[in-house]
Amino acid sequence: MEAFDALLAGFGVALKPINLLWGFIGVTLGTLVGVLPGVGPALTVAMLLPLTVKLDPTGALIMFAGIYYGAMFGGSTTTILLNTPGESASIATALEGNRMAKAGRAGPALATAAIGSFVAGSIATVLLTLLAPLVVELALKFGPAEYFSLMVFAFITVSAVLGSSTVRGLTSLFLGLFFGLVGIDGQTGQPRFAFGVGELLDGVDVVVLAVGLFAVGEALYVAAYQSRLTESLEKLKGSIWMSKADWNRSWPAWLRATGIGFPFGTIPAGGSEIPTFLSYATEKKFSKHPEEFGKGAIEGVAGPEAANNAAATGVLVPLLTLGIPTSATAAILLGAFQNYGIQPGPLLFQSQAELVWGLIASLYVGNIILLVLNLPLIGIWVKVLSIPKDILYAAILVFATLGAYSLHQSWVDLLMLYVFGLLGFAMRRWDIPVGPAVIGLILGPLAETQFRRALSISQGDATVFFTQPISATFLAVTAALVVAPWIVRRMRRGRTA
Amino acid sequence: MRRSVAEVSLSLGVLALGIGVTGVTATLPSGGGYAGIGPNFIPGVVGAGIILLGIWLAFEAFTDGWRNAAPDDAAARGEHAFHGAGFAWISAGLFIHMALIGWAGFVVAGVVLFACVARGFGSARLARDLGLGLVLSVAIYAFFVKLLNVNLPAGWLAPLLGTAGV
Repeated sequence: MEAFDALLAGFGVALKPINLLWGFIGVTLGTLVGVLPGVGPALTVAMLLPLTVKLDPTGALIMFAGIYYGAMFGGSTTTILLNTPGESASIATALEGNRMAKAGRAGPALATAAIGSFVAGSIATVLLTLLAPLVVELALKFGPAEYFSLMVFAFITVSAVLGSSTVRGLTSLFLGLFFGLVGIDGQTGQPRFAFGVGELLDGVDVVVLAVGLFAVGEALYVAAYQSRLTESLEKLKGSIWMSKADWNRSWPAWLRATGIGFPFGTIPAGGSEIPTFLSYATEKKFSKHPEEFGKGAIEGVAGPEAANNAAATGVLVPLLTLGIPTSATAAILLGAFQNYGIQPGPLLFQSQAELVWGLIASLYVGNIILLVLNLPLIGIWVKVLSIPKDILYAAILVFATLGAYSLHQSWVDLLMLYVFGLLGFAMRRWDIPVGPAVIGLILGPLAETQFRRALSISQGDATVFFTQPISATFLAVTAALVVAPWIVRRMRRGRTA
Repeated sequence: MRRSVAEVSLSLGVLALGIGVTGVTATLPSGGGYAGIGPNFIPGVVGAGIILLGIWLAFEAFTDGWRNAAPDDAAARGEHAFHGAGFAWISAGLFIHMALIGWAGFVVAGVVLFACVARGFGSARLARDLGLGLVLSVAIYAFFVKLLNVNLPAGWLAPLLGTAGV
């Protein structure tokens, strides 16, 4: 059991008092910021990135694992008490959780979300521990052609296959790919799209793009379209503990949801949205109380929340073993890795085993911190939720500008932040997904590097992507994903005509 | 037949960006070494892709509007009518912040930004906003500069805040 030894060594790293402290700070800050209405996990991670600039890589990454989990849990608290899902993955929770809160059962809803997240997160971390070495084994056989084809597959699934519109998803992706081109070409030193501006030569930073799209764009959107609406915050009444019946109805939902969430997280399927809805539908089907669904059924909170956390952990499999982010949050995490000169992938498991396994071990620890921290502190999170919108967004924007300005101490980054804010405003209002742009920015330059490497090896022969069996398989699956829905529609139309 | 000015403008904007990217790509060198492709190859592909997507979006916008788009009715989107003042206050706050931060310093710029954004969200309590903005900006400044050693401009308040570093 080589992986087991590695994991034990990882625990040695994660349980060092200083790293425990970073994990603790990460979970607390992640929950605190994640609870804020309108702040999803992606924005939470992006806004807190500047905090880690002076930390050593291991401590910083452990802190980020904590922020990642904390942000996920914080979002569900907001959804249950406020019914404004900060992220698409919370929509399923909003269906039942908010109704439970309205019926005075906010406590058990929050408890099943917290304990379900812990159970699902822990099982998913065990699965990650077992699966990661196998994927690494496979990934070591990949050359540049295989990587490029795999990245094309990820591009297409996150932009064209998921979401309400193929063309708008692809537009978002290509905007991200374009932003990724700005700066100095890594292979020839040629500046591209920088127009002689020093700040642009460094490329578009993922923090500026993500904070611009998510924070500035959201602030502009809410001020323009939603600031005059009133919303009701549900009070936390009665016991926060779950009754025996609540337990009996929750635990099968947690386990089923873990089984749904983890596999969906590991494939490039855009993160948590699909598994949470699948879990919701499954629970509705299995429940002995289907009549309660739509009125506050506890399974409808337990399942989606567990699925969300299992998928969030599953996303780390391709991120750590292949270096491929499959959600906007994962792309920002990859950006954080790159800031430390760390490129996740199979080689990282060999060259920096201590760091990777320390990170994985800290996921176990983070889950426990999350559980012990969240239920007792629930009163504080509720107070955070009642911050008025004017103060909330003012504070978010002051913090958002800090992250952009601290890159080069330059107003040019602040101008870029505003331009991305305008873009985020338009994307939000006219229903263009934002995630593919963030993924495109981070993954685009990696894909270009692999593409050019593959062609260098093959002396410019472009057929290499189709003649290598693994690469050809990835491309064939990608093509099938694009063409299949179109053919199905055609056949249906042909039959009815 | 549904046609939205915004959808048409956004589509043409994407198309224009694609043309711009392609135009700039034409000025990049193509020298390729062993790969046979240079630093201009992928930008060319991305530029062409953006042009095609712009045409596709424009086609949808001109024929029945974007498919599966957000509903036209504001209430169905959970919105009220466009409130220009809110948008303008936030934009103004960010631009004033941009102009101030270099010479007036992080704290002064932060206070102004805080007050402008709060005003954009309908706050009428200027004194409270300035006070809260000051507390937050000083706290962030102290945390980042004194504790994390991140360099932020002290500006006008340098005599009060002291210089960077512990």
